[in-house]
Amino acid sequence: MSAELPLIMIKDVNYSYPNGTIALKDINLNLYRGELIGIMGKNGAGKTTLIRTLNGLIRPTQGEIYVNNKNINTATIATLSKKVGIIFQNASHQLFANTVEDEIKFSLKSFNLSKEESQMRTNQILHQFNLEKYRERSPLNLSGGESKKLAIASIFCRDPDILIFDEPTLGQDAREIEFFIRLIEKERENDKTIIIITHNIEFAFEFIPRTILMADGKIIADGPTQKVLNCEELIEKSSLILPQSRQFSLALQALGFQNTDTLFSKAEVTKYLMQFIKNSSGSAQKR
Amino acid sequence: MSLEFLNAFKFMKKDSFLHNLDPRAKLFLAIVYTITALLFNQIIPLFLIFLSLIPLVIIGKIFRQWVKSIRGLSFLVIFMIVLNTLFISLSFAIAMILRIFIMVSAFSIFFLTVDPNSLALSLISMKLPYEFAFSFSLAFRFVPTIAKEAQNIIDAQQSRGYEMQAKGIINQIKNLFPLLIPLIICSIKRAFNVAEALESRAFGSKKERSYYYTIKYTIKDWIFTFYLVLFLTAFIIIKIQFNIMPEFFLWGLPV
Amino acid sequence: MDLIRFEKFFYRYKGNEEYALNDINLRIEKDDNFVLLCGETGSGKTTLIRCMNGLIPQFYSGFYKGKVFINEVNTVETSIANLSTEVGIVFQNPENQLIAMNVEHEIAFGLENLGVPPKKIAQKIEESASLTEIEHLLDKAPFELSGGEQQRVAIASILVLEPKILILDEPTALLDPQMARKIITLLKEIQLERKITILISEHRLDLLLPFADHMILMKNGKVLEQNSLEKAINGENFQKLNLNKPVIYSIFMKLREENLFEGRIPSSIPDAINSLKRYK
Repeated sequence: MSAELPLIMIKDVNYSYPNGTIALKDINLNLYRGELIGIMGKNGAGKTTLIRTLNGLIRPTQGEIYVNNKNINTATIATLSKKVGIIFQNASHQLFANTVEDEIKFSLKSFNLSKEESQMRTNQILHQFNLEKYRERSPLNLSGGESKKLAIASIFCRDPDILIFDEPTLGQDAREIEFFIRLIEKERENDKTIIIITHNIEFAFEFIPRTILMADGKIIADGPTQKVLNCEELIEKSSLILPQSRQFSLALQALGFQNTDTLFSKAEVTKYLMQFIKNSSGSAQKR
Repeated sequence: MSLEFLNAFKFMKKDSFLHNLDPRAKLFLAIVYTITALLFNQIIPLFLIFLSLIPLVIIGKIFRQWVKSIRGLSFLVIFMIVLNTLFISLSFAIAMILRIFIMVSAFSIFFLTVDPNSLALSLISMKLPYEFAFSFSLAFRFVPTIAKEAQNIIDAQQSRGYEMQAKGIINQIKNLFPLLIPLIICSIKRAFNVAEALESRAFGSKKERSYYYTIKYTIKDWIFTFYLVLFLTAFIIIKIQFNIMPEFFLWGLPV
Repeated sequence: MDLIRFEKFFYRYKGNEEYALNDINLRIEKDDNFVLLCGETGSGKTTLIRCMNGLIPQFYSGFYKGKVFINEVNTVETSIANLSTEVGIVFQNPENQLIAMNVEHEIAFGLENLGVPPKKIAQKIEESASLTEIEHLLDKAPFELSGGEQQRVAIASILVLEPKILILDEPTALLDPQMARKIITLLKEIQLERKITILISEHRLDLLLPFADHMILMKNGKVLEQNSLEKAINGENFQKLNLNKPVIYSIFMKLREENLFEGRIPSSIPDAINSLKRYK
């Protein structure tokens, strides 16, 4: 990352619920423009609480948050949600309009666009998400996967700089996850900053460069995913398990395979094995 | 009036005299207090009735929650003072407020100390059909769940630019749709999920149901019920013989 | 004897034109042990599960053709209540399955419905709670429990009815990875100890493949394949389906593609290590 100022600065943030439970403790975090960050941790560690502080749904009881160098404590949720878009886990918590088209238009209401502009943006987003064929359909009549897409689309149409996803791969099959990956890759090309809360270790290991681990309201790790998800102690504290490629390379090491301690990703392990088998058969032939 | 007010009616498991009483005794408490509150229009007797609630609340270890329920009524209180003073008298207003406090408190005590299962059992013992009693306790069990869901819906909608405040009555009603529709849909989905889970556990089986937990009236319950009967009788007598009551009973503010 | 048998079964939900289940001819036998049901989203897995205790077509009215038999009893000729003593189903979200005020009563509920005398109920609660390791939670309220604990209570409350097969629909969906693994391990233990069949519908294949011994693959409302785990994951159907295949699978498929590996694709890490042992 260049020596630019962080897009989001979270300084000494603490949050306790009205009944006294501490949800966030001494959170300090800097997120830069264009980053793709994963947040992982046990259920109840504070992940969803943390992201809610970024669009004003939750106001810290202590500490400050700066977005684009401005303190957000006086900004309204309405203003903040234009810059910070959160897509929650359950699409049925937001779908209500008469048609899919109306659902998108509802999200655009607060921008006070002209009728033509609103229609244009709606058309564009429906096309981007392959939802044109459902234009006139009731959003309540869509399948699980399609409603999830609609939920994402209804935030994307507002074009926020920061996109936050809460468990986007939950209950999705490979094809749907692929669509999601292509979507965020495209947004990264547009310099958007993306934060993903997930339990999906394989997904994080493969696609997310930086990972933050949370436990009991605190951040217990923040760094390159390959490093963070490789530390047994941190994995244990966050109720995660080692990515399978890493489990495999450790098992290979235990079996006596050399040079396996630097193997992390699926690609690296595959390459290693391919090389190894080629060499083995090569030496076998020599005999 | 915030949703906080509803917390004052949420059952919390505790070990106290009140919690350990049979739910029917507590229902009787709510009824007795409601009747006595309706007997009087004067400040002093109502105030005495109200005071008699306080020791109960203390031994029930629910003082904090009870105070919250009273506080939650503050908006209503101010409204009533203004309205009643304008049309009748300040004395009357205060008396009405006390009445409301008493009735709300009585029911608040009931809901705070009766767990929904015992409630269902007490309804069954009063010969209500099981399905009815069960749906009653089921509703209770899901109130906090639905409240949490409502909050999630509010969060989701606010995150896409929905604003809670709107101007004008018509707009305010229209503004509820983005919250109500998802809530209703989710509740219906939930109802289906709960129903299929219940079916899958032999609910509705033709066999005669057995009961693992039972409720029984003990000596403590009888003593408490007896006390309530005395309480009610005393105040009925006071009401009937009101004209021979001491002067200060009729005290009211000079307004 | 077939535990569950579908005969030319078709089903569509009320108001839908498309069939959710198309010509199902599935047979699940008593010693099928640990069965993994997988398919792309929308392939009909949940619908299939609902047929197994009579929820379809009795609770979910729709249009159906064909027959479903549980232990040779037709599912439309007996009540769901009766079938629930043969087939136990644990659904995805424990929140919507826990209806009692404490765990003990939760487990008792099913037996109360069946009119089992209280003394017997107490005994069965003890057995179930010990099997699912929740004895220390008996007097807790459902909302005081973690997701993993809730799921275990749900499982205990079904096990207490002593079904011959325990079916779970995406039981680990809302759980973090460690808890998910604990639940699956527990289910394997239950399968071995109680000698009942377990059928799980899941997306998280990396978690399930090491435990399963049979697999059912679904697509578009049809059963594509029903096979032993080994044969299924080495087959074309599995390869072509858009499932979340484990990393191990992808690694060995790549090796096979490059003609560097000929054996069967391993389903777990110990399995993978075994297939590479000859190189050491």
